[in-house]
Amino acid sequence: MTELWVEKYRPKKVSEVVGNKESIKAFLDWMKSWELGKPLKKAALLYGPAGVGKTSLVLAYAREHGYDVVEVNASDWRNEERMKAIVGESSLQATLDGSVKKIILVDEVDGIAGKEDAGGLSALRKIIDESRIPIAMVANNPWNPRLASIRERSLMLGFRRLKKLEIVKRLKEICAKEGIKASDKALKALAERSEGDLRSAINDLQAIASGRKTIGEKDVEALGERNRVREIFDALRIIFNTKSLRGARAALEGLEVDLDTIYTWLVDNAPLQIPDADDLADAFEALAKADLFLSKASREQKWKLTRYAIPLMTGGVALARRHKPEGFVKFEFPSKIRFMQKTKAERELRLSIASKIAEKLHLSTAKAMKEMLPYLSFIASRDERFAEAISKYFELTPAEISYLAGKEKKEVKPAAKRKKAARRKKG
Amino acid sequence: MSIELVETLPWVEKYRPKSLEEIIDQEEVVNSLRNVLKTKAVPHMLFAGPPGVGKTATAHAFARDLFGERYLEDGHFMEINASDERGIQTIREKVKMFARQIPMGGLGFKILLLDESDQLTDDAQHAFRRVMEQYSATCRFILVANYSNRIIEPIQSRCAVFRFKPLVKKHIIEHLRRIAEKEGLEIDDQALEVIYDFSEGDMRKAINTLQASASISKKIDEKVVYQVMGYVSRGEVRRVLELALGGKFSEMRDEVRRILYVQGIMPSDLISAIYRELFYLDLSEEDKLELLDLLGEVDYRISEGATPEVQLMAFLAKIAAKGKKR
Repeated sequence: MTELWVEKYRPKKVSEVVGNKESIKAFLDWMKSWELGKPLKKAALLYGPAGVGKTSLVLAYAREHGYDVVEVNASDWRNEERMKAIVGESSLQATLDGSVKKIILVDEVDGIAGKEDAGGLSALRKIIDESRIPIAMVANNPWNPRLASIRERSLMLGFRRLKKLEIVKRLKEICAKEGIKASDKALKALAERSEGDLRSAINDLQAIASGRKTIGEKDVEALGERNRVREIFDALRIIFNTKSLRGARAALEGLEVDLDTIYTWLVDNAPLQIPDADDLADAFEALAKADLFLSKASREQKWKLTRYAIPLMTGGVALARRHKPEGFVKFEFPSKIRFMQKTKAERELRLSIASKIAEKLHLSTAKAMKEMLPYLSFIASRDERFAEAISKYFELTPAEISYLAGKEKKEVKPAAKRKKAARRKKG
Repeated sequence: MSIELVETLPWVEKYRPKSLEEIIDQEEVVNSLRNVLKTKAVPHMLFAGPPGVGKTATAHAFARDLFGERYLEDGHFMEINASDERGIQTIREKVKMFARQIPMGGLGFKILLLDESDQLTDDAQHAFRRVMEQYSATCRFILVANYSNRIIEPIQSRCAVFRFKPLVKKHIIEHLRRIAEKEGLEIDDQALEVIYDFSEGDMRKAINTLQASASISKKIDEKVVYQVMGYVSRGEVRRVLELALGGKFSEMRDEVRRILYVQGIMPSDLISAIYRELFYLDLSEEDKLELLDLLGEVDYRISEGATPEVQLMAFLAKIAAKGKKR
């Protein structure tokens, strides 16, 4: 799949950040006070709804002014040791000569307040007090009473939902760069749906633009429920970070996504979120057991079995995750789905070749694929006459025969190595 | 078909037995079928036995001997592969269409070959049993299966069961040698040994390996055969295991997905290949035993209907954990 447009078109400069001009100016003033060596406040808390440019502003500023960003995810704060390793050191490093400029970016601060242990908050408070570099925090809702002490220490920067026109303007710019013709009505409808959330508007745009060059109002109507992906992200965040089976199970409650979908996301994100090999082995064992229950449940209509699958796939993964990755690792769209999209054409080609072989050679398609295709491909790649002959005999299309004959010539391994491997096998 | 085209066909097709006389081994089966040919009283039949020993070839050869050269073209014989068409509905419709008309100059019945019939679900088999009865006046069935115990009892009891034996090593090698001679190849004994070992008694695999070897060189020694083997199998399974041991999880996952979804290798075959490699991994014996246990567990779960990819990942993640501690 191509790059996500929300990443591709993330603002590179502060001037490209859409809307919220006042808060942006206040942020710039605050950073300027750091540059002058007299910070107004140690920390700034950028708060407001999702997708309005809070994180983008910090990243754009850092990029424009040559700062390294030390990014921390809320879940990291609960582990004091790791937190010190990541943030503590960075925050204490004086940057007297200005050669390495750093800014700490803490995502989802409100996530810490919601957790049962308050250790993370007090640690964060301490870091703010001792820090010698700017700390930018991001939150959707900063008004939780437990965040009071953080609020006191921070410059409060409120961000509002973006105006429809602001969103339309940005979408237009993206369409121009991607060579897409979109009607005004379509873009307005996208902006409307987004409810002031530019990120979801861009995601929606990319979703309907895939495979076409013009977009009309009808295409926008065809979009599925907008909140689906965000819902999944929220659920994953809880599942990977919880410490209790009940908490993990609760993450799936009220979710408008089916179990199989969330399962796919879990399986494909587990290797990213779980860096330790032992942890990952345990997590996959839990996922594999959950899979057996899920398969049995749907195959044999034994729905009761899902009640074992859910704690295994949620709590089982969470409990296995004893170590966390360095820094914040984003959740990703399942790689399985990407893989299947990427290989679709090749898979169809192979299937078509195999079914033609199967018919002539009295085999099933599966057997033709497995037992004939590799050999025919091997021979056809070195014998043109043979390639021509089987192309006629099996009535292959030019694309099919060139796939069969072309591709894998180079992959033949030197004989010596093979021999060794095969000897070992015999022993 | 032009002579030149025949010359360049896949050899499994070119050297396919044309009549019962050319079937290798399987004397008992062939003798019984010869008797059937004499009386022309053809029962429903079940051909059971391991892959690549000539079950489907025997069915075709038998039909050719029975109906003549044009057994297919004249519509006396049809073949359906159960693994391609699992729905009993399509089978029933095809059978109906096929059996409805009796061709001129035939024997008053047709033959339908149902290949890989052990792939049919129990439900489909029960439905098929009724199809067999309904059309038995005009259509005789030959069911081909690897495992006769996967065919339900009521079908077995309606069939004459023919058990195909694994081919004798000597006969496979002799057959390969005959082909080599006709194709003007020079092949040494060592190479024939290696091809036989690799084929695991499967004639199709043996002939394919021979033909692929011949595309490298007209003089075939064991080195040439190893080159083919390295290309067509095993190599990628080793690669998967090495990536797992090296902790390269996402590369390893892509490789497994290629094997399963692009190459279309059956999960059970992949697991068997892993099983074979497991004993040679660079790990302690205790670790290997533990992994063997888990592989068995994974294999079992897949047979119970679990998703192969995730089950394999669970196994390979365990290998990665072991690899880290080396």
